Amino acid sequence: MMRIIINECKKALTSPILIALFILFSAFNIFVIISSSDHKEELKMVNEIIDQYGKDITDNSMERFESDIQMDFAELSRMTGSEFTSVYEFLDGLRFEDQEKYNDEQWEFFNRLQLKEMYLNTAKSIDESYGEIDIRKTAESEIKKYGLSGNAAETLMNEYDKFSERFDEMVNNGEHKQWFFAGKAYFMHSFLFKTVFLHIIIEALLLIVLSTALITTYEFENKTHLVAYSTKRGRKLMKNKLLASLAIATTIIVFLFAITLGTFFTVFDYSQIWNTSISSAFNWEYNFPYVAWWDLSVGTFLIGLIALVFIVLLLFVGLTFALSVVVKNSYITFFSIAALFIFMWLLPSFMPTSSILLFVFAYTLPTLLLAIGSSFMGSSGLIMFENFEWMTISCWTVITLAVSFMSYIRFKKIDIS
Amino acid sequence: MLVVKDVSKRYGDFTALQQVNMEFNTGLYGLLAPNGAGKTTLIKMLATLITPSEGEIQYNGKNILEMDEQYRDLLGFLPQQFGYYKNYSPKQYMLYLAALKGIGKKEALQKIDELLDKVALSDVVNKKMKKFSGGMIQRVGIAQALLNDPKILILDEPTAGLDPKERARFRHLLTELARERLVIISTHIVSDIESIANEIIMIKNKQLLYKDSVEKICATLNGNVFETTIDFDYLEEFRKKYVLLSEKQEYGKMIVRFIHKGAPEMEWNSVPSQLEDVFLYEYRDVIEGEE
Amino acid sequence: MRILWNELKKIFTWKTMLLLLFINSVLYFLLIEFYIEYFPNGSEVYSYNIGVEMVEKYGATMDENEFIDFQKTYEDKAEEATQYLQSREDAVGNGLDTYEKFQAYDWQNSSQKASDLQGDIFFESEIDLFWELQEFERLIDFYNYRKSIPDVLTDNQRARLNELIAKEKFGVYTEIAMSNFKHFIANVGVAILFSVVLVISPMILKDRSRGILPLQYTSKKGRNLLKTKLLAGYIATFLVITGLLAVYFSLYSLNNTSMFFKVHVNTFIANESWYDPTFFQFIMLCVAAIYLIGFIFVTLSMSFSNVVPNLVSLIGIQIPFIVGFLIFGLSRLLPYMISVWNPKWLAPVSYGSMIIISFIIVYCLVKREKKVDVLM
Repeated sequence: MMRIIINECKKALTSPILIALFILFSAFNIFVIISSSDHKEELKMVNEIIDQYGKDITDNSMERFESDIQMDFAELSRMTGSEFTSVYEFLDGLRFEDQEKYNDEQWEFFNRLQLKEMYLNTAKSIDESYGEIDIRKTAESEIKKYGLSGNAAETLMNEYDKFSERFDEMVNNGEHKQWFFAGKAYFMHSFLFKTVFLHIIIEALLLIVLSTALITTYEFENKTHLVAYSTKRGRKLMKNKLLASLAIATTIIVFLFAITLGTFFTVFDYSQIWNTSISSAFNWEYNFPYVAWWDLSVGTFLIGLIALVFIVLLLFVGLTFALSVVVKNSYITFFSIAALFIFMWLLPSFMPTSSILLFVFAYTLPTLLLAIGSSFMGSSGLIMFENFEWMTISCWTVITLAVSFMSYIRFKKIDIS
Repeated sequence: MLVVKDVSKRYGDFTALQQVNMEFNTGLYGLLAPNGAGKTTLIKMLATLITPSEGEIQYNGKNILEMDEQYRDLLGFLPQQFGYYKNYSPKQYMLYLAALKGIGKKEALQKIDELLDKVALSDVVNKKMKKFSGGMIQRVGIAQALLNDPKILILDEPTAGLDPKERARFRHLLTELARERLVIISTHIVSDIESIANEIIMIKNKQLLYKDSVEKICATLNGNVFETTIDFDYLEEFRKKYVLLSEKQEYGKMIVRFIHKGAPEMEWNSVPSQLEDVFLYEYRDVIEGEE
Repeated sequence: MRILWNELKKIFTWKTMLLLLFINSVLYFLLIEFYIEYFPNGSEVYSYNIGVEMVEKYGATMDENEFIDFQKTYEDKAEEATQYLQSREDAVGNGLDTYEKFQAYDWQNSSQKASDLQGDIFFESEIDLFWELQEFERLIDFYNYRKSIPDVLTDNQRARLNELIAKEKFGVYTEIAMSNFKHFIANVGVAILFSVVLVISPMILKDRSRGILPLQYTSKKGRNLLKTKLLAGYIATFLVITGLLAVYFSLYSLNNTSMFFKVHVNTFIANESWYDPTFFQFIMLCVAAIYLIGFIFVTLSMSFSNVVPNLVSLIGIQIPFIVGFLIFGLSRLLPYMISVWNPKWLAPVSYGSMIIISFIIVYCLVKREKKVDVLM
C-alpha cells in the first residue's frame, strides 16, 4: 500500500519539467522579495520602538517615547544651531547647497529621527482617526459603490452592523494601539499577504494541478491502464493516486512556503512584530484600516492564512482528481480547471445586485484564494462576512469530497478499453 | 534486391546488431529469433525508422535512406504495435494512410474495399475502431500494409492476436503475395512460417546465424535428433545430460525428444530434424536464461 | 492536399473546439468585457462626446483657428453655467454666482455649504454641463501645453518630440478611444495567445504518443509529414486567430469609435509615437502583431510538442515562456509597440529576432526529424 503510493509519487517527482518549474518559481519569488526590499532597514525602526517601549501604545509609553524624541530634537538643535520642534521643519527649510554640510552619520540621525517622528505622530492621531470612522457610512458607500439594492443591500447592512459591534469592541480593547510597520509608507501587509502569498498560491496551484493530473492520468497516457487496473489492487489504485497527489501537493506547498517565506523573513525583520495585533492602526494602507473579526496577532494571522491556503490547495487536488478521473486526459483537465477557476471567481459578477446570491456565489475557493490577504477581515468589501472563510472551506470540502467520491465510484464501474 | 551491408546498430553503450550482412530477393523470408535478439532493430532499419550506426542498406544498389520516398513507396510495413485514431473507422483510417502513401482518393477507396474484404472486415468498414478486438485491429494493420501494393512487405509479428482460422487464411494470403514480391516476416512462432517461407533468417548474439531454406537449416541437425522413452524418475538426470527439445507423458512414462551429437544408444530412435528443433537447440541458452 | 486536410481535421476535434469556446468565454468576461461594456466609463462619456464633436467639426486635426472656435464653444458653455449658478440660491448665497468664481474657488479649504453645492452639482443632480466644462478645461490645458516637453527623456525621445512639434502634430484630442482600444487589444492578445497555444500544442505529441509514427514515417510521404503537420498547425493558427479576431472586433464595434479612425495616433493626448499612423492603421498594425505573436508562439508550441514526453510536460514547459511574455513583452510589443516611451528599436528588433528564432527552430525540427530514430 505504502509502496504503491511511493511509486505513484515518483511519477511526479521524477518529472523534470515539474522540478524545473518549481525551481524557477522559487527563484522568481526570491527575486520579487529581494527587489522590493529597499526599505528593509527603515522597517527595523518598529522593532526598536517595540523593544524600548513595548508593543502596546499606552499613555505611559507614549510619554516616554515623546520625551526621548524631545531629547533628539535638542540634539538636532545642537547640530544645526537653530531650534526645531520637528525634523520635517528642518528638512523642509534645508537648502540644496546646505545638504553637504552634514556628514553621513548626521544624515543617519536625521533619517532615524524622521521615522520616529512619523511613528509618533501617527500614534498620536490614532484616536482622532478612529473617531472619524463611521461603519454605517462605510456600509452605505459600499452599497452605493456596487449598486446594491433589495435583499443584498439589507444583508450587507446587517453584517456591517455586526461588524460595527466588533469594531467598537476592538477599539475598547485597544487592539489597534499596537506598533506595526506604517501601512501607508510601506504597504507591508499587502506585500506579504497579497503579493507574496498570491505568487505562492498561483505557482503552487499550477504545480499541484499539473502533478495531480499527471499522476491520475498516467496509466491512460502511457497505455499501461490495461495492465495496471487489472492487477490485484485494480481500480482501487485510483485511491492511492489520490493519496499520492495529496502527498505531492503537500510537499510542493511546504517547500514553496518554506523557501519563499524563509527568504521574506530573512530579508524583513519581523522579530518584534509577531505579537502585534493585525488590526493595528498602523496597518492602514488605503481608505480603511485592516480590522479583523477576531483579536489576531500577526503571527496567528500568518499561520491562519497558511492553513487556509494549505486546505484550499488540497481541495484543488481533490477537484482536479475528480475531473481527471472522468476525462482521463491531463491536457483537458488542466485547461478545464484553469477555466473553472476563473469562472467561479467571476460568478458573483453575473448575479443580480439585488439578490443575496451575489454573496452566496462569492463563497468559492478562487475568491477565497485571490483575496487571501483580506481573510478574517471585516474590512474587505463584499466578502467581509464573518463566516466567509470557514463556510467556504466547509462547503467546498463537502463538495470536493462528494465529486471525488462520485467520480471514483463511476470509475470503478466504467469500461476501460 | 535488398542488401544489408555490414550493418551495426548501437544505442549508446548497448549494441543491438553487429556487422550484419544479408540479401533478399523475391520470396518469403522468415525472420526467426527469440525476443531481444535484434529482430525488431533489423526490421526498423529496413523500414527506415531507425538509421544504422554503421553500414548501409541498399535496394537495387541504392542506399534506401537516399532513395527516400522512392523506397518507401515500394514499402508496406506492419509494426509490432501501431497506433490508430479511436474515433476513426477503418475506412477513414486507411484513407488517411492512403493519402500519406500518395494514393489517389478514388483508387484508394476501391483498394480499401478490396483489402478490407480480403481480411474479412467488410462488414465493419464504417464502425469506429475503438470497439474493435485486437485481432480486428491487427487485420486492419495487415490491410494498410498492402494499400500501396508494395514490392517490399515487412511484417513484424503479424499473427499476434489472430485466431487459428485467421492464421490459416493469412498464411494463404502471404504465399500468394510472395510470388511476386519480397515479404519479410518477423516472428517467434515457428509454425507460422515453417511451411511457407522460402528462406529462414536466424539472428544470434547480434549477428546473422543462418539464412537458408528450411531443409538446409534442418539438415544441420540431421542424425542428431532422437526420441526415446524413459522413466519419469530418470527425467531430471536425462535433462542434464542432453539438450531436451520436448517431452510428452504417455502411459506413466516419458517420451522425450532431444539432441545428441555423437554415437546414439540402442533404444533411441533417430528422427528427422525440424525447424523448431534447430530453434530450440540454437537458442537454448537464451531461452533457458529467459526462464 | 488531402494529407493537410487530414491533419487539420485532427487539430479541430469537437472536444478542442468546446474547450476553446469555454476558455474564450471565461477570458472574455475576465479580460475583455469591461472595455466593451463600460465604454465610455462613467464621466468619460463627456470626453467621448466632446471628442466626437471635435472630429466632426475640425476633422483629423485642430489648427489654431479651429482652436479659437473650440474655446468659443467653451466660453458659451461657461456662460450657460453662470446662468445656471445664478438660478441657484445656494450658489449666489455663497458668492459663487459666476462659473469663473466657481472655478477659481479654493475647494481644498471650502466651506461646508460650498462643498455641499459642489457635491450636488456633480454627484446628486449630475449637471452634465459642469462635467463637460471640466473636460473642456482639460483639453484646453493640453492644447496650451502642446509644445512643452517633459524633462526626463533620452536624446532620441527628445528629438522625436521636437520633430512632432515641428510638424505641428500635437496631442490635443481626447485619448479615451485610444486608451480603451489599447486595453482592449492587449487583452484580446492574451485571449488569442492562450487559444492558439491551447489548440495547436498537443497535435504533434498526440501522434507520437499514440504510436502512429511508424506507420506515417514508412509511408511514401515519410518524414516529410512533419512539414505538413507544421503547415497544418500554422493554418489552424491562422483560422483560430482570424475567427477570434472577427468575434472580438465585432464586439468592439459596439464601442462606436469609428469616427476617430482617421485621426493620427500622435493627435491623441499622451500618445506620442515613433510613427504616425491613423487610428485605423494602428488597429491594423495591432492585428498584424497579434498574428505574428500567434505564429511565433505556435512555432514554440509545436517544437515542444515534438520533443516532450507527455502532455503535462507540454503544458509545464510552456508556462514560463507564456507568463514571461505576458509580464514583460505583451504590453511593450502590442499596444505600446510604437510609443516613444519604449525605445524605437524595441518592437522591430524583438519581432525580428523572434521571427528569426522561429525559422531556426522550424529548420532544426525538420532537419532533426529526417534522422531521428523512431523507437516508440
